[in-house]
Amino acid sequence: MNFARFSERIDGLKYLADKMELTGSRVRRYLMQMPFSTDRDELEQNFDILQKACEILSDQKAKPVMMQLQHLFSRVHDIRGSLAELKEKRTLDEVELFEIKYFVVLCSDAGKLCDQAGFSYERLFPLQEAFHILDPDTTGTVSFSIYDSYSKSLAAARQQVTETDPGRDPGKWDQLQDIIQKEELAVREKLSLQLSEFYPDLQENFDRLARMEIWFAKAKLALLYNMSRPVTVPGDQPGVLSVEGMVNPAIADNLENAGGSFQPVSVTLYRKPCLLTGANMSGKTVVLKTLAMIQALTQFSFFVPAQKASISLVKDVFLVIGDKQDQYRGLSSFAAEMLDLDRIMANMAAGTEMLVLADEPARTTNPAEGAAILCALVEYLEKHHVMSLISTHYGDLGLSCRKLRVAGFEGTNVKGRLDPLQMYRYMNYSLIEDKGGSVPLEALNIARLLGVNGSFIDTAKKYLK
Amino acid sequence: MPFIDQIIRYGSLSVVGLGKNTGKTECLRYVMEKLDQRQKLIAVTSVGIDGEGVDRVTATPKPEIFLEKGMYFTTVASYYKAKRFRAEICEVLPYTTVLGKMVTARALEKGKMILAGPSDTILLQNWVREMPRNFSVDICLVDGAISRLSPASPAVTESMILAVGAAYSLNMSTLAERTRFVYDTVHLPLAGESLKKKLEHITRGIRGITADGEITDPGVESALIPEQVREVLGKCQNRIYVPGAVSNALLKTLGEGKEVGKTELYIRDFSRIFADPRVLYSFLRKGGRIFQLFSTRLLAVCVNPVSPQGYRLNSEELTARIQKEVNIPVYDIKKLEG
Repeated sequence: MNFARFSERIDGLKYLADKMELTGSRVRRYLMQMPFSTDRDELEQNFDILQKACEILSDQKAKPVMMQLQHLFSRVHDIRGSLAELKEKRTLDEVELFEIKYFVVLCSDAGKLCDQAGFSYERLFPLQEAFHILDPDTTGTVSFSIYDSYSKSLAAARQQVTETDPGRDPGKWDQLQDIIQKEELAVREKLSLQLSEFYPDLQENFDRLARMEIWFAKAKLALLYNMSRPVTVPGDQPGVLSVEGMVNPAIADNLENAGGSFQPVSVTLYRKPCLLTGANMSGKTVVLKTLAMIQALTQFSFFVPAQKASISLVKDVFLVIGDKQDQYRGLSSFAAEMLDLDRIMANMAAGTEMLVLADEPARTTNPAEGAAILCALVEYLEKHHVMSLISTHYGDLGLSCRKLRVAGFEGTNVKGRLDPLQMYRYMNYSLIEDKGGSVPLEALNIARLLGVNGSFIDTAKKYLK
Repeated sequence: MPFIDQIIRYGSLSVVGLGKNTGKTECLRYVMEKLDQRQKLIAVTSVGIDGEGVDRVTATPKPEIFLEKGMYFTTVASYYKAKRFRAEICEVLPYTTVLGKMVTARALEKGKMILAGPSDTILLQNWVREMPRNFSVDICLVDGAISRLSPASPAVTESMILAVGAAYSLNMSTLAERTRFVYDTVHLPLAGESLKKKLEHITRGIRGITADGEITDPGVESALIPEQVREVLGKCQNRIYVPGAVSNALLKTLGEGKEVGKTELYIRDFSRIFADPRVLYSFLRKGGRIFQLFSTRLLAVCVNPVSPQGYRLNSEELTARIQKEVNIPVYDIKKLEG
């Protein structure tokens, strides 16, 4: 599973990926193909790299060097075509040979800039020998030509052709041009063969340059959103997902544009199910989405938008939001959700370690059966020790599992109509442990604040027992 | 020649022809020779697919440009690879066109080459800006075109020479009138600096300009048919900005408006005008005004009295006839060369 697949399922990832400053599709492709890592050592090493990149970016003295490096990234061309030719030992044309030479020069420059900045990761292979092949006269310039010094017979033919007037002696001129063509081809064949020995290093440098750019883009993102380095929990310790002061960057940006701010939320999950209750608009879905994003970010070697995070690694993250319907395949939102749950069951049966975050499962069917489905899900998650958080509006289910409740609405005395974007002013989003089994009954109150017809709400109240 | 000094002063030049075989290539070759004699470092390119270039239907090639040793040139990689002289590649441009990769190279000896360079205005503008920075070039030359097929505007260079030839028409009056028209459109007044800043990044749609200089969007995509123009006028009063083609329909409809005397039309540059001369002049006569955001200095007109079919117009007569119409020097390119 790579980053592209995860960002389709977890929209917060896509938002952050779009925020990353990458120089083009060449690098974005590497980002999209990043694997979801479950290797703790690898992740910790990656976090060391990212931390170093953050330090360099925060260092004012390193700024000029970093600007040069950033500019250099933008000058790297997509030479996958030429590299493939080298790999297959095919003959490169003049333009491709130039591109290899230019790339080698960029690698050498990038290496020097990294040394100056103190960035010792993604080290590039020195390719002086490859450069010498393309710089036979040791002029040190980036430009490339099929130089006379490559072949004596080429030089001789070229000399002769300059002494021949194509107007007066077209036969000889054409003949000489043919010789030059042949000789140039021979030179290109020789150069290509010599360069093909450097293919592995060239390819590796090409990959490393892209990865280097991604590290700095990740670091920039981390600084932009005040992200912190997550602590990965060793596999032999009890599984936990503990996040203090988490923020959802996409929503925080939106709120900021509207003049508000995101209230950081803290939550800890263990390897068992936990129910999440709370009024409408109390941010339950945001909690689920942000947790999914933080778990995924960690395992894709990003820092996370929270003050502190301890994270056990999982094999997969399931975020079931229940708004997925696929009319083209004949699936209603209920059917799509049931199929998602079925996939989760299959993974449980296979013993896959995972994080399950489900938003009001079975809400689109009748409450009696819906509650039954929810209870069954909780029972299964319990039995298989799955780290999970399930939001719901169903109350008094008689379940003994752990429960969290959003502190909730604190604006009962607000008069008049309220803009949904201003709701955050009256909502306390923090999560508190809930011992009871009831759910808050604030739906009508909130509907009133949204400006829904008053007599309609009074009519609804009549039916409340 | 006096205009060589001017070219050196301005740093960039496009040579455009009224049509095919009007002597544009000869004119460019003359300028290159003179600049080379002055030991100026030259970079040359041609606007990519430009109607008179590589014809996508008939695949007829463009004329080759003669290059002296040391000159920089930008063209598509496939043309470069077919060269018959020594040159070195200095840069592969970071974008690919419909014709493939684009390279900038330096001639190591003299030779000739088909040029097909950046094919739209922004890329050409970058080329003119970057060449002196990257390669210490003194003068950028563009083999341009003002045919309606050209997507790249010659107005990106500081100066321009117009090539007028018997190949366009054997009727001297037609040649003179057409030359006059280009001359007049190049000399349309410039928009104010603050307005230019607000408009230059808008390259699509239509905009209205209020009395306070605010930009409004009437939500109309183009002004190619009279109904659209009337809709725009209804929403934007009398000042409108059209970044795309200025058509007959646009100018006619504006000219029929009740307040034509107060109408101000803002365009990007003279090369966007595709309207017929009589329509444009009629609009101006009625009191309508046209302003352009970008302009170039027309330095001279070069005439070529010989048509490819072998007809020859009287050189003195043609030069004098055109000279009556324009307030810049007119030269016979054949005589310049001799």
